[in-house]
Amino acid sequence: MAALAAVAMIGAGLAGCSSGGRTKLVFAFNKREAVPFMQQVVDDYNKSQDKVNVVMDTSGLNSTAAGFVRGAPADLLLANFNNQAARYVNQCAVTDLSDTDAAKRVRPDVKALVDGVGKCPGRTSAVPYSIMAAGVIYNKDIFAKYNLQVPKTYDQLLSVSKTLKSNGVAPFFGTFYDGWTVSQGWFDYAAGGSLDLKSFFQSIEKDGANVGPNSSVSYEKDFLEPMNKMMTLAKDYTNPDANSKIYGDGNTAMANGKAAMYLQGPWAFSEISKTNPKANLGTFPLPMTDNPKDLKTAVNVDLGAMIPEQSKHQAEARDFMNYLFQPKIINAYNASQLGFGPLKDSAPETDPRVAGLRPYYEKGKIYAGPSYVIPQAIPIPQLAQSIVLGADPKDVLSTIDADWARFARRQ
Amino acid sequence: MAISSLPSVPDVPEKADRKHRKVEPVFWWMTVPTLVVFTLAIPIPAAIGIFYSFTNYIGVGKWHFLGLANYIAMFTDPQIRQSYIFTIGFSLVTVLAVNVISFLLAVGLTARIRAKVALRTVFVIPMVISGIVIAYVFQFLFSNSLPALGQALGVGWLKESMVTNPHLAWVAVVFVTAWQSIPGTLLIYIAGLMSVPEDVYEAADIDGASKFQQMTRITIPLVFSYVVINTILGFKGYLNAYDIIVGLTNGGPGTSTMSVAMNIVNGLTNGDYAYQMANATIFFIFTLIVSLLQLSLMRGRNK
Amino acid sequence: MSAQSITPAASNAKPKKIRARMERVNWPATIILAVCSLTVLIPLYVTVSMAFKTTKQAVDGNAFSLPNPVSVDGFKQAWTMTKTPVGAGISVLITAGVVFLVIFLAAFLSYSIVRNWDHRFFRYSFFYVLAAMFIPFPVVALPQISLTGRLHLDNPFGVIILASMFQLAFSVLLFTTFLRSIPNELEESAQIDGASTWQTFRKIVFPLLAPMSATVGIFAFLYAWNDFMMPSLIISDATLQSLPVRQNIFQSQFSNNYNVSFASYLMAMAPAIIAYIFTQRWVMSGVTQGAVKG
Repeated sequence: MAALAAVAMIGAGLAGCSSGGRTKLVFAFNKREAVPFMQQVVDDYNKSQDKVNVVMDTSGLNSTAAGFVRGAPADLLLANFNNQAARYVNQCAVTDLSDTDAAKRVRPDVKALVDGVGKCPGRTSAVPYSIMAAGVIYNKDIFAKYNLQVPKTYDQLLSVSKTLKSNGVAPFFGTFYDGWTVSQGWFDYAAGGSLDLKSFFQSIEKDGANVGPNSSVSYEKDFLEPMNKMMTLAKDYTNPDANSKIYGDGNTAMANGKAAMYLQGPWAFSEISKTNPKANLGTFPLPMTDNPKDLKTAVNVDLGAMIPEQSKHQAEARDFMNYLFQPKIINAYNASQLGFGPLKDSAPETDPRVAGLRPYYEKGKIYAGPSYVIPQAIPIPQLAQSIVLGADPKDVLSTIDADWARFARRQ
Repeated sequence: MAISSLPSVPDVPEKADRKHRKVEPVFWWMTVPTLVVFTLAIPIPAAIGIFYSFTNYIGVGKWHFLGLANYIAMFTDPQIRQSYIFTIGFSLVTVLAVNVISFLLAVGLTARIRAKVALRTVFVIPMVISGIVIAYVFQFLFSNSLPALGQALGVGWLKESMVTNPHLAWVAVVFVTAWQSIPGTLLIYIAGLMSVPEDVYEAADIDGASKFQQMTRITIPLVFSYVVINTILGFKGYLNAYDIIVGLTNGGPGTSTMSVAMNIVNGLTNGDYAYQMANATIFFIFTLIVSLLQLSLMRGRNK
Repeated sequence: MSAQSITPAASNAKPKKIRARMERVNWPATIILAVCSLTVLIPLYVTVSMAFKTTKQAVDGNAFSLPNPVSVDGFKQAWTMTKTPVGAGISVLITAGVVFLVIFLAAFLSYSIVRNWDHRFFRYSFFYVLAAMFIPFPVVALPQISLTGRLHLDNPFGVIILASMFQLAFSVLLFTTFLRSIPNELEESAQIDGASTWQTFRKIVFPLLAPMSATVGIFAFLYAWNDFMMPSLIISDATLQSLPVRQNIFQSQFSNNYNVSFASYLMAMAPAIIAYIFTQRWVMSGVTQGAVKG
């Protein structure tokens, strides 16, 4: 009994709140590659003043979402601004940040990108922090060894893959065990490289509940050809054990030159360099058509800052947000993560590893990947994964159509 | 054996209701606070959930009524349908596997064997290991060690990881679930087998019945009530499968091992709160029907 | 409550006669069982051996090789990364809290119900509580998240309360069945001697319930210690998560450092396994009794 009381007291101590009179500010940050960087920033901020103690919560999207549901979300979110975050924005559950200094510094084209994902009328709900351009990561040494050029068309891509395969090199490293790597890489690049996604989504959103076999646009009709091309690559030109490999395996393999190409965003570079900082890597957009002019790069608002309405520490959260958006810190962050800065005063991204994508980003030849746009109620990572694991693309796409229509009917 | 009291039939004869008899205050203190907390913990959230199942609520912000739209959508949703098929099929197979294996192990562990205590101790260990932790261990074994073994032995279907094969992943889930839940079932069977008096077997020996006949004619009928308990306790648990699947396959590959419970919980993160509350309501009704069926089956058995 | 007071349920059955002819040890069965026990032992062996490897050796993915050299780096890293001692403390707190609450609340409730069965309120309470056995946690999980959040119970204490309530129905069932089989005479004589109802409960009934309290406690322990779903959803602050949930949170951060992940798994498993090995006889009889009497 005494022991129990003692345990209860220890627990009460642990559960007990803030440290010595400072306000506890919960800062949700879910980008695991950058946790050490951000922890340093948080520590510096905590040392720089004595009113607020920022506590970083890295426990993931689930707990961020749960925070909203329980009426006590984190005070400041710096999160992937995707279809999930969009729901909180669309329901106006996050505050207006238009009067912050950071919001005024955002580049107009980037603001349009943010608004395209989610918007609460009359508000600037999210301020972008980092934009990621994603494409094919390739091993320059392997390409040089077999005298290969960066492919600009789908046919060139196939012939590069054939050469590599015939020399016993895995052309692509697949990590199909992790569904998200399939959806953000294979699925998104295949669709985005082939279609005009902006007009596709405009039409399909208008059709809503009527999407199906007879509608003018549908996933089944428009995505089928890209998916078939994707399957040619995924089936014949990946490592034989792709089905059981995870993201971590892929990074290790690319670090050790086990494959020539890898469909991942720049976030993978920091993981790869942990194993081999000297890996000679570059990037290019995945060519899916026969016309080099169709080349585009996938982009997403990798991080956006949001302050929930329910936060009880609005002023403190804004103060810390301003701290994060100081040019010194935001530039250092984007440089370390190979992200593109979203602000007018952002330093240009000069890392040679993403140089292959920069021209496309600068010329506006960009698209937002479908897996970031399609509502999360439709499990794209799982569905995309089932395609690469062997399900009939036509069946899976018609499932997405049916899900899309069903989702529209219950809004 | 008090099995017959499981459906909660009181042994005390029911007298006329003495509503106005003075109940000692201490009894109120011992019940009412607990019942209040209990009501807040289970019935009220259930009612809130049912309420929101008729709306488009995402867990925060504005919402409006949808009528039955969520329910109608649910019944045509292949993902929901698949989760029910998977959950029911998985539960049936697991109940069967767990009971057969546990029974055989119990027969072995009550025989005259060496190191009885040590063996029993070992077989019960999985009971005290958290499902998600052991699922991570098995996930590693299934995706690294088994394929390596398949490679070495030249067994084709083993070379590919079991947890990434949409047709085999459910087997892995059954295996790990069984691994973890056999001990509980096993202990009950051991108790059942030990309650069969030895002289019954002696008489059978004298009559010249073979060991197999003794098993089918004596042992199994005598421990049948234990089979019933194990089936009921097990099946209800398996229907709520969550922890082990999260650790082992996370519902994949694709959505092939997505259980009903996982779908419901995902409603929290994917903004489909109200829709999944409709799912939860249907799941509740389904669990209720299954439980009542089992109870009536059991009562029938005991009569 | 002492271990000696509990006799395995099975031996309560009719006394057994020793078979007339002494049978020899059944070696085939012994061997088969020993082989089967490998199914349990191999994963445990793999966990231990992977945990003691160096990252370099572990990354080759060979599960069965012995650690060479033996390294405790995995433990050191996992210990600081997942903050194992905090996790263990929280898990112990939750488990102890649930065991304690369930035993007392269920005993109170069961005693009141059984002794006042003729009163409508108590009779209905019994069925009310029992009906909850049909509501699985997933069904109320989402509303419960918002409710606990608003009541500031989105922490281990909320889990203690909720888990106790979900364990209540089964425990009340066990206690009421057991109470009905205890004769009333002792209580009545105590009351004739002038003891109040509370004193009677404390001095006579609760000690009599000890064997069943042990059973209820073991089930509550197994549930609370092993559960992943409820703490993962209810506890909002990740630094206050229980051991099993920590494995899930850090699973992606372990990446391919298998020695770290397995060291972490081992530290999450070990306390309960060690506790079980020291109390195995008692745990086995407790579980058996619950299932048979329930």
